[in-house]
Amino acid sequence: MKENAGPLIVLGILLLFPWVITDQYYQHLMILVLMWVAIGSGWNLIAGYTGQVSFGDAAFFGTGAYAAGLLAFKLGISAWWGLALGGLMAVVIAFPFGWICFRLRGAYFALATLALNEVMRHIATIWESLTGGMVGILLMQTFVSKIPYYYVALVIAVIAVVTVQLVMQSRWGYYFVSIREDQDTAESIGIDTHYYKMISLCLAAYLTGLAGSLYMNYMSFIDPHIVFSLHDISIMAILVGIVGGVGTVYGPAVGAFVMVTVSELFRTGGFGLVDSVTKAIPYPAVMLAAKYIKEAHVFTFGVLVILVILFLPNGIVGDWPKLRRGLLFWRRQKA
Amino acid sequence: MDVFLQTLVSGVLTGGLYALIGLGMTLIMGVMNIINLAHGQLMMVAMYITFVLFHYLGLDPYFALPVSCTFLFFLGVFIQRYLLNPLMQVESILPENQVLMTVGIGMVLTEICRFIFTSNYKSVPNPYSSPTFFIGGISFSKAMCTAFVLAVMFTVALFWFLLKTDLGRSIRAVAQDGEAARLMGIDAERIKVITMGIGSMLVAAAGTMLMPIFYLFPDIGGPFTRKAFVITILGGLGSTVGAIFGGVTLGLAEAFGATYIGKDYEDMIGLIMFLLVLLFLPGGFKRLTKV
Amino acid sequence: MKRGLLCLVAAFAVAMIASGTCLAQGAKGEPIKVGVVLPLTGTQAAFGEIEKNSFVMGVEEINKAGGVNGRPIELIVEDDASKADVGRSAVEKLISRDKVIVLTGGYASSVTYAMAAVAQQRQVPFVVNTGSADNITEMGWDYVFRINPPVSEYPEGLKGFLQEVVKPTSVAILYENTLFGQSGSKEFAADAEKMGLKVLMKQGYEAGGLDFKPLLINVRAANPDLVYMISYVMDAALLMRQAKELNFNPKLFVGGAAGFTLPEFYKNAGDAADNVFSATLWTENVPFPGARDYYDKYLTRFKSPTEYHGAEAYAAIYVVADALKRAKELAPKAVRESLIDTDMMTVFGPVKFIAYGKKKQQNRLPTYLVQWQKGMLETVWPKDVATKPYVYPVPPWKK
Repeated sequence: MKENAGPLIVLGILLLFPWVITDQYYQHLMILVLMWVAIGSGWNLIAGYTGQVSFGDAAFFGTGAYAAGLLAFKLGISAWWGLALGGLMAVVIAFPFGWICFRLRGAYFALATLALNEVMRHIATIWESLTGGMVGILLMQTFVSKIPYYYVALVIAVIAVVTVQLVMQSRWGYYFVSIREDQDTAESIGIDTHYYKMISLCLAAYLTGLAGSLYMNYMSFIDPHIVFSLHDISIMAILVGIVGGVGTVYGPAVGAFVMVTVSELFRTGGFGLVDSVTKAIPYPAVMLAAKYIKEAHVFTFGVLVILVILFLPNGIVGDWPKLRRGLLFWRRQKA
Repeated sequence: MDVFLQTLVSGVLTGGLYALIGLGMTLIMGVMNIINLAHGQLMMVAMYITFVLFHYLGLDPYFALPVSCTFLFFLGVFIQRYLLNPLMQVESILPENQVLMTVGIGMVLTEICRFIFTSNYKSVPNPYSSPTFFIGGISFSKAMCTAFVLAVMFTVALFWFLLKTDLGRSIRAVAQDGEAARLMGIDAERIKVITMGIGSMLVAAAGTMLMPIFYLFPDIGGPFTRKAFVITILGGLGSTVGAIFGGVTLGLAEAFGATYIGKDYEDMIGLIMFLLVLLFLPGGFKRLTKV
Repeated sequence: MKRGLLCLVAAFAVAMIASGTCLAQGAKGEPIKVGVVLPLTGTQAAFGEIEKNSFVMGVEEINKAGGVNGRPIELIVEDDASKADVGRSAVEKLISRDKVIVLTGGYASSVTYAMAAVAQQRQVPFVVNTGSADNITEMGWDYVFRINPPVSEYPEGLKGFLQEVVKPTSVAILYENTLFGQSGSKEFAADAEKMGLKVLMKQGYEAGGLDFKPLLINVRAANPDLVYMISYVMDAALLMRQAKELNFNPKLFVGGAAGFTLPEFYKNAGDAADNVFSATLWTENVPFPGARDYYDKYLTRFKSPTEYHGAEAYAAIYVVADALKRAKELAPKAVRESLIDTDMMTVFGPVKFIAYGKKKQQNRLPTYLVQWQKGMLETVWPKDVATKPYVYPVPPWKK
């Protein structure tokens, strides 16, 4: 129980968050963070624990989003039912996805998932009669306040993390890790690797699809470019997992928080701090610097990725001892 | 008949250019077995160099070739030596960290170019006064033909290099079995660095050739990286001739798909072919011919 | 060390005084916050730049002339990175944290659509100036207003020309696979059929393609009288260059504005752009007061030409300022009511928000037909605003 103290405290903070911080913008950011916790956890299951590094998780995300969206758009059923359905639809997609990709290993597997992701995106764009093509799906948000969405996102994130924890403590968890470590040996001692890979993928797909339908309900606008995006969803999922820590339960949570915060921090220039500084000191040099800081958010992101991979390859959580040593070392140096 | 022939010509010529893009990647993947998702971004850098040389020095893009190739060689060497090789030493759960490193590198390269050149589209006008010649009513683009010829030349040169020179043989040894090569006295780390340099150099040539036909903006890299993968897988990792085969096949598939099915399916056709090859012919063309 | 600190303080003080005097001219008093969302990074950054510059120029002029009843307008510009979800975040931030009372901007159709939904829900008026998909003003959103014509009306200027001069019998439509292209092509196909034209082909493509020849070969084989293309600038340039390489000579090529009217189109297509027509929403020669002035002022200040997107932005800020001046109080609801009564002239044309067809709170403007002649974009139709006579029949490509 003691080892769960940390996460439980965080959970407590999260529960109280929207009542303490009433600024809708920050609530919006936290909702995004929670969504990424779910996506990252899903990816972590299939990649971090089972060793099958997927570059195509957007396929599940998009399926979940469109399942919810089409329910509302074509059948007039509230998109909230889509939450239940989105995860399931994503699992349905996981079957052919796995069937195609699991016969491949390593780099080839990754490329195949990437290709499937792109195929899904193209299908969604071209099949206008089903998905509306690039017109996308627009729904009106059910609630004006962000608080209900926040709690739904929180529930989804908690489900994701708890699922990962329970699965990894069970027998399935052992099988997944053994597949990651050495698939052939696992097969030879009688583990049906194909079966367990599929289970892992289905779980990952379910969590990611759930996040997708949350996205549809909350953002209320999707189009193929947004929800099947290779760069913004699939690769971001990988980065969340890697930066946070693959193969750890809380890694994706930390990763989600870091990635979302860093990218918004730079896009808005320190949440407006840069703008205040510029207003106080309106020198052209300062203004130029401010402009470049704000436009450099992708650049900083890339640099962050490079640094993390070089120095913290197991992520913040995975390499926590190393990171702590590094921080303490730096502090000792200053004294 | 006209439609068919013109589509055929289009496909083959585009295929040549694609092959040049894929050549670098197949070499890198064959030797080091890493997925380089920054391949397109390296090409982008070469294209910016070509643009700068043209814009400020008035240098004909074809003469910019040696400059861009040299620069990219050293850039590739730098990336491999300081960013990718160190990853080999690092203990991590997933071997795929290298791929993500290339994602980060790609992002950084794109943003640096965006910072220097802004997001505006840049282009270099076609150096030929009349850009096409006609044979029997079928139009051939001069710039594309030049690129095709150059692709073949590079392939032949690379093939000869790998087969006949010492360095080439060392590279093939490392590709076959890195441990054994090391035991035989080959400095595998150095070979990998050089290979990355050569691979980058090849994609630089592709970029310079592409400049007069197409245009340039910082985000141009992504789609070309994906095409390079398709070509690499089609042709077989490490196979130089396979790259030509893969490139031309992709070019033809896209052209015929665009003509007879619809241009919006163009990308899908490449992707589906990619998946089919991955599933049913995992060694690519190489497996069929042992080249 | 102490001297350095003193210098720093002195510099700071000077800066404060200097900034103070800057604000002393023109409007004084607490600034009114207006939110603007534009693509400042990403693939559409070039256009975002033109619009931002135009907004800035417009605001400076308005503030120098006394602002809104003595108070200056403060523009808060946010980047949507050419992405709908970032656009939504930006609007959220502008409404929650910056407490803007009115929004404007919106470039790409899909991004504008998503942002308008947020503005509607949070009940802050949004004056759209570029996003052109029809559905933006067909949703019945009473907080959304649009100055620019919807994409379905882009070819209005073209229609007169077609019906009186060309009288074509068939058309091939090519479009990029985005909201702008998909909706524009659908509308034009419907219009063509109403005009009695046979639609031989309607083909979409992914933007950023390298080789359009297979597509153009098919179009050539279908032998249409008219080829109508909806693309952004680089695809447009490649399409024309490759059409020339294939020696493809329909009766005329017409672009659906966007890429076809930009100077980059001519720079990249070279002589393949000659005699290509395009629909457009605005040129510097339109008979609206200040149009030419705006063009010249922009060129002098920013050293590169502006085009219809810039004019849309410039007009938008004037419309917003006008509405703010007439508003009963400076709060979103009152500003909305003030916007409803807008009836003014801008460099982009007259602005009055009316309802017609399925649309509401949409401004209705004529569009024009332009033609590239020897590297210059000349207005050719309607005849009363033409700068040069049209060249038709179009001579075939010289071999």
